[in-house]
Amino acid sequence: MYNSPVLYDQSETIKEKLSFNDKRKKHLIIYDQKAAGDVKQALTAHSQEELNYEPFEIEDAIKLQDLRTLLYSQKMGTHLYIASNWDHAATVFAEATEAGFTEDEIQTVIYGPKRRYIYCMKCYHTSEISDGDEVQCARCDAYMEVGPFFSKVRKGYIGYPFIPN
Amino acid sequence: MFKSTNLDLFTFPFTNFKNKTYRYSNDLVALSEDKVNFMKITPEYKVQIKRKREMLEEQPEVRYQSFPHTMEMQWEFVELLIDLSINKYPEHFSVEKDGDQWTFTNHILGETETFIFGDESSLSLEPYDMIGRHFHNDFMLMVNRDDNFYLEVAQESFAALFSPNWNLGMSFNEIHGPVPFVSRDGVELTDRIRKFLLTIEPGAPRTRVNWNLMADRWDVNYETMDIWGPERDKVTAENAGKLVHLRVEEQWFIRMPRSNAILFVLDTQFLPLEDLVLRPEWLETTYFNLADIPDYMAEYKGMAPFLPQSVEYLENLMNSMKVK
Repeated sequence: MYNSPVLYDQSETIKEKLSFNDKRKKHLIIYDQKAAGDVKQALTAHSQEELNYEPFEIEDAIKLQDLRTLLYSQKMGTHLYIASNWDHAATVFAEATEAGFTEDEIQTVIYGPKRRYIYCMKCYHTSEISDGDEVQCARCDAYMEVGPFFSKVRKGYIGYPFIPN
Repeated sequence: MFKSTNLDLFTFPFTNFKNKTYRYSNDLVALSEDKVNFMKITPEYKVQIKRKREMLEEQPEVRYQSFPHTMEMQWEFVELLIDLSINKYPEHFSVEKDGDQWTFTNHILGETETFIFGDESSLSLEPYDMIGRHFHNDFMLMVNRDDNFYLEVAQESFAALFSPNWNLGMSFNEIHGPVPFVSRDGVELTDRIRKFLLTIEPGAPRTRVNWNLMADRWDVNYETMDIWGPERDKVTAENAGKLVHLRVEEQWFIRMPRSNAILFVLDTQFLPLEDLVLRPEWLETTYFNLADIPDYMAEYKGMAPFLPQSVEYLENLMNSMKVK
């Protein structure tokens, strides 16, 4: 669906650290090796509470078939926690929303840098950008001011074109 | 640059003007019987259609966007526009229906569109794009889902700070976020309008008039911000009469009975400040309104770089008329 949620650097699902939502029946935790230590620590801290959880560790690369089987087999009331680097999180997030999770049912903790994209209003190309308020389009070289608005359809922030002085 | 030449057809925006102080209303009001049908043929019709079609031909990606699943709504739009046009202007538009075989005739342009209603393969353009090219308005179709409205089809040639390409698929609230040059705190207002839109029923469209000033350009979209942004600085109190235009956007919000979508229609009209002498009462009202615009609003409307020059021009114009 065109208006499916997209993970971007300001997504509401992104949190600083893992915190379990105690209103949910089950907690599905998908994490990679970078997050493994923190996930184990969080689970140990809640070990007295009979938390109904299911951990799933991403090894070197995501096996999409396994991930989909896992996500589609979840019942209503499951809360999804993603704790990983950006690329793993983006993949899991996209698969999870495809499988019917809403943003309210997902919590994401990113390890390492977040990726940021811009949509060039001159040539309609989406490209990755580094930090900073002003960038150049990777395709047409137009100078752009990074706007504050994000399009789920274009998967990037608006790039307002300007002519440098 | 277009300008309205028949001032009886120009929608003068400052009707809620009282005590020489600017008052702004965003309310969507009910329409009088004669205004429910938005169709309006002005002396500028042919030149506007020519320009609109040129833009659609030259920049199809910029000016027209749709999702593939919108065809049924597009045909509903075709039927609506044909009905409204014939209803208001039977001397200018007509349709012949032989089963699903329709022939729409635009007598002003001497053009005929023949197609099988409901079969998009019978047209070279998408149905919405085809029929929209016969009318000078901008048309945005917003689908009602989960108490919000999502832009699914748009044909746009005149709207300011709007881009079908960028805004496609966005909710009403998302579309009303992006105002460049200044961060905008309009969330509460946008949400109020969104809730109001939910109450609009078929057959009872609502309207609202928005206005702005434009410096030597009517086509102010995101795609060309690098060009028109700096151009706003060339306005002086001497040239404002020709360069600066009062830009009025008359908006209709129409509930589509079958799809339940909201059709958002814009009629954008321009009047150069110098033409205000043709209606002295408009000149005075415009002057007092513009002189009273708060700074934050001038920033948010993008007119801050040339508002003082425009006010000075109007003041000089009024004084010169008094001398005469």
